[in-house]
Amino acid sequence: MSQLREPAFDRAVALVLRTGAFGCFFIMLAGLIDSFFMNGRIPADIERAGVLLMLATPVVRVIVACFLFFREKDYRYGWTSLGVLVILLLGAVFGIGEH
Amino acid sequence: MLTTALLVFLGFCAGLLGALTGIGGGVLLTPILALHFGVPIRQAIGTSLVAVITTSAASSSVHLQRHTTDIRLGMTLELATALGAAVMAYLVGYFNRNALEGLFAAFLLYSAIMILSRGGKVKDEDESSPGINGEVAIPPYEPKRYPLGLGASLVAGALSGLLGIGGGPIKVPVMFIFMGVPLMVATATSNFMIGVTAAASAMVYYRRGDILVHIAAPLAVGVFVGSLLGARLTPRIHTKIIVYLLVAVMFYLAGHLGLHLLRELL
Repeated sequence: MSQLREPAFDRAVALVLRTGAFGCFFIMLAGLIDSFFMNGRIPADIERAGVLLMLATPVVRVIVACFLFFREKDYRYGWTSLGVLVILLLGAVFGIGEH
Repeated sequence: MLTTALLVFLGFCAGLLGALTGIGGGVLLTPILALHFGVPIRQAIGTSLVAVITTSAASSSVHLQRHTTDIRLGMTLELATALGAAVMAYLVGYFNRNALEGLFAAFLLYSAIMILSRGGKVKDEDESSPGINGEVAIPPYEPKRYPLGLGASLVAGALSGLLGIGGGPIKVPVMFIFMGVPLMVATATSNFMIGVTAAASAMVYYRRGDILVHIAAPLAVGVFVGSLLGARLTPRIHTKIIVYLLVAVMFYLAGHLGLHLLRELL
C-alpha cells in the first residue's frame, strides 16, 4: 500500500511546502531590506511574520494531507495525520517552561 | 547591519554545504551562533530550527515532485518524531546552559568521528539515479518492523528537539536497513519528516522566547538561497574535499565549545 503512486497527492503537498518556503523567503527579505533603511518595530514585525509563517507551513502540510486522506476514505492514515496535528498543536499550546 | 549581512552569508554557506554534502545546517549554525554571535545556546538551537524547517520545506518539495516520498510512512513515523521533539523541547527549558553546550560538543565530536570512520561518506549512495524527465523507477516494497522504526523515530525526534538538528543520519539508515525501504525513498521521506519534527520543537522554543527573529530571518533568507543553489550544483561537484573541510570545522567548533565550557566551570 505504501508504494501507491499518487501524483496529485504529492503535488498538493509539494505546493503547500513551496508556497510556505517562497512566501517566507520574500517576507523575510522584505523585513531585511526594511531593516537596512529603518530601525524599529516595522522590520521586526515583518521578520516575525516570516518566522511564524515558516513554523505554520508544516502544520498546514499536515492539515492538507489529513483532509486528502479522509477524502480518499483512507481512514487509517487520516487518523494518523490527525494524531500528528494534535501533537503539533499541543506543543504550541503548552509551550511553557519559562526561566 | 554588518551582523545582518554576516548572518545572511552564514545561512547561505550552511544551506549550500548542507545541500552539497548532506551535513545539515543545524549542526553548524547552532555552535557558530553560540560562539561567534554571542547567542545563548538555547536561543541558538531555537533559532537554527527555523533554518532547518526552511531547508526541509524547500528540498522536500523537490523530492515530492519526483514522487520519491512515501507520505504514508512519513506521516506514521512523524507521530513518534513530533512527540519526541515536542517533549524534549519542553524539557530543554529546564536544562542549564553548560549541560546543553557539553551535549552539543559531544554530538559534534561524535558526528565528525562517524564521518571520518566512514571514509568521508555522509550519504549512502543512491542505487538508482533519477531519469532524464525526473521519473524514477522504485522497486515495490512494503515497510516492515514498524515498532523499531517508531522507536528510532522517537529518539531522532528527541535529538532534534534537544539540539536543533534534523536527525536524518538516524532515520535514513533505520528506514533503509531495518524497514526495507529503498534508499532513495528513505532519504526523501526523512527530509519530508524533518519539517514537522522541527516545527514541533520550534513552537515550544518560540513560546518560550527562544527564537530570535532578528537572527532567524537573515539566516533563513541565506539558507533558502544556498540550499536551492546547492541542489542545482550537486551533480557537478566532487564533495569529498568539502566533507573533510566540514569535519575540520566540526572539530574546531567542538573544541571551542569544550574550552568555553571549561572556562565557565573553572
